[in-house]
Amino acid sequence: MKDRLNPSFLAAVVAVVLSLGSAWVAAQAPPASSASTPWSVVRTPHGQPDLQGYWTSLSFTPLERPEQYGTREFLTDQEVEEIFKAGIQRSYDLTFANSADTPVYDATVYALDAWQNGVRPNRRTSLIVDPPNGRLPPLTPEAQARRGRARPPQETFNGPEDLGTGVRCFTFGGPPIPAGSNYNQNTFILQGKDHVVLEYEWGSVTRVVPLDGRPHLSRNIRPWRGDSRGRWDGDTLVVETTNFRPSVTPQNSNAATLRLTERLTRIDENTIEYRYTVDDPSTWARPWTAIIPLSKVEGPLFEYACHEGNNGLVNILEGARAQEKR
Amino acid sequence: MRKRLHGVVVAGAAGAVIVALSCAMGPLSAQAPTAGQFPPYQPPRGTDGNPDVSGFWQAFVTANIDLLDHDAQPGPTPETMGAYGAWPAGQGIVEGGEIPYRPEALARKQQNADNRMTVNISSDARRHETGDPELKCYRPGVPRATYMPFPFQIIQSQQYILIVHEYANALRTIYMDDHKEAPAESWMGWSNGRWDGNTLVVDTAGFVPYTWFDRAGNHHSDALRVVERYTPVSPYHLMYEATIEDPKVFTRPWKIRFPLYRRMEQNVQLLDFNCVPFTEELLYRHLRRQPTQ
Repeated sequence: MKDRLNPSFLAAVVAVVLSLGSAWVAAQAPPASSASTPWSVVRTPHGQPDLQGYWTSLSFTPLERPEQYGTREFLTDQEVEEIFKAGIQRSYDLTFANSADTPVYDATVYALDAWQNGVRPNRRTSLIVDPPNGRLPPLTPEAQARRGRARPPQETFNGPEDLGTGVRCFTFGGPPIPAGSNYNQNTFILQGKDHVVLEYEWGSVTRVVPLDGRPHLSRNIRPWRGDSRGRWDGDTLVVETTNFRPSVTPQNSNAATLRLTERLTRIDENTIEYRYTVDDPSTWARPWTAIIPLSKVEGPLFEYACHEGNNGLVNILEGARAQEKR
Repeated sequence: MRKRLHGVVVAGAAGAVIVALSCAMGPLSAQAPTAGQFPPYQPPRGTDGNPDVSGFWQAFVTANIDLLDHDAQPGPTPETMGAYGAWPAGQGIVEGGEIPYRPEALARKQQNADNRMTVNISSDARRHETGDPELKCYRPGVPRATYMPFPFQIIQSQQYILIVHEYANALRTIYMDDHKEAPAESWMGWSNGRWDGNTLVVDTAGFVPYTWFDRAGNHHSDALRVVERYTPVSPYHLMYEATIEDPKVFTRPWKIRFPLYRRMEQNVQLLDFNCVPFTEELLYRHLRRQPTQ
């Protein structure tokens, strides 16, 4: 059985990250209180603002703003520290809870915990920044009816079709970039002369975005990650994605009418502001926008060969068949 | 009249000389190219001074069926698939026409071929013991991904060259500086690259032992090392060579060679070949709930 880590070691980890994270936290503060010098753009050899490198989207910030904050966009210093510490503690406890009861799985061996994966504090109360209440806009009547018709969560597993697209290794969704507090929330960005590549470690997904102004695919072809086209708007990379597949849309929106716009701006050496807007008039009364912090981490990204090693699906179905025999 | 004819004769002779001169010139000549031969070529270079090999490429050999010479064959379940499921003939791409197996490894190749359609999925590595990984939509490994009948895209910066395959969105990251040994095994290997004149040299190792080289059961171990050479030989072709080394399986290294063609369709891009959904019935039907009698 692995020794538990010393609690004071954990406190030291938190303190170091809070101090390292201060540039990101300060950069997000309302402009009036920021005293940092503006980032001066570094360019690739092709003259594009340089977004390249390894980035994590890990954070403990929820998508929707908890109601207690009302319209408040930013946390106080004390709240930032409390939320971050609580998140670290939760991920630490989960690891050792696992290894105490089930020594087979120790997430620390693979550095899979948030506290080992470069999670940074985030001054925002929610990822959603618009609407101003930080919550998803109201659903349209059509979307409410669609939700009402949706399949309830499965309790029996008769076959693979009763499992989610992630468990089946079809896709883990996205764009936009995933931003949970789990592992593998790592992204690698590479810029060629006329394409930008976004590689997500989660599911080993590689998106190649052309910058040459070519038209989108016709409506008859719907890639699993939609069809993306990029352009530069000043120092911001703007990526427009259409042609989503019906089962693979953010928040179960309507693939036929959904448009996603992502904006990536490098705001300092260690940070990219990743801002995305979801516009689907048949699901929400108005578009909504979220900001996910991307913080620099060390590479590399590892191959995530989901389907090749999909023991989970096999075990779930074998378990369901064994239960039937009882 | 005589003078005019003389002028015509002189013009004709001059014309013949001009035609002869242009035939002797390089790629812009009107001669049909000779198969297998490329005139000397200097590729365009990127901002780092290295050849620009970015773009969309595809192989047109049938090596994915069999690296060695093969006749056309019916393919699996011809009683339902008919000509749809039949596989074309192809000339082999192996230098010397032979793959130098150790005797026990040759027996394994034959076993692979006999069992290429046998799928036994359990929640452990035994799932890899039989059945062509291509059939299961597993990542093809290297060099098989290069000659799968699907395009791939090369995106190039000074520090990294990425190869993105349409087949299963398989990715290869080639580290052009900061060369390291593979920190972990993977299906597509760990690639370190460098330039040798106009040739991109890619040295890849750190493979899982589960990929095959083709549908004929040609295989390798975790000791596999592949050294590839990509050389631009025209604006539309890369010449591809790979040396395959695996002392646990082969008695010596061996080489393959074939051209890669630039995809020239307007607005060409990679589409999706996400074959995972297509394999579910094949892989998992034995785990399905059976109707009660």
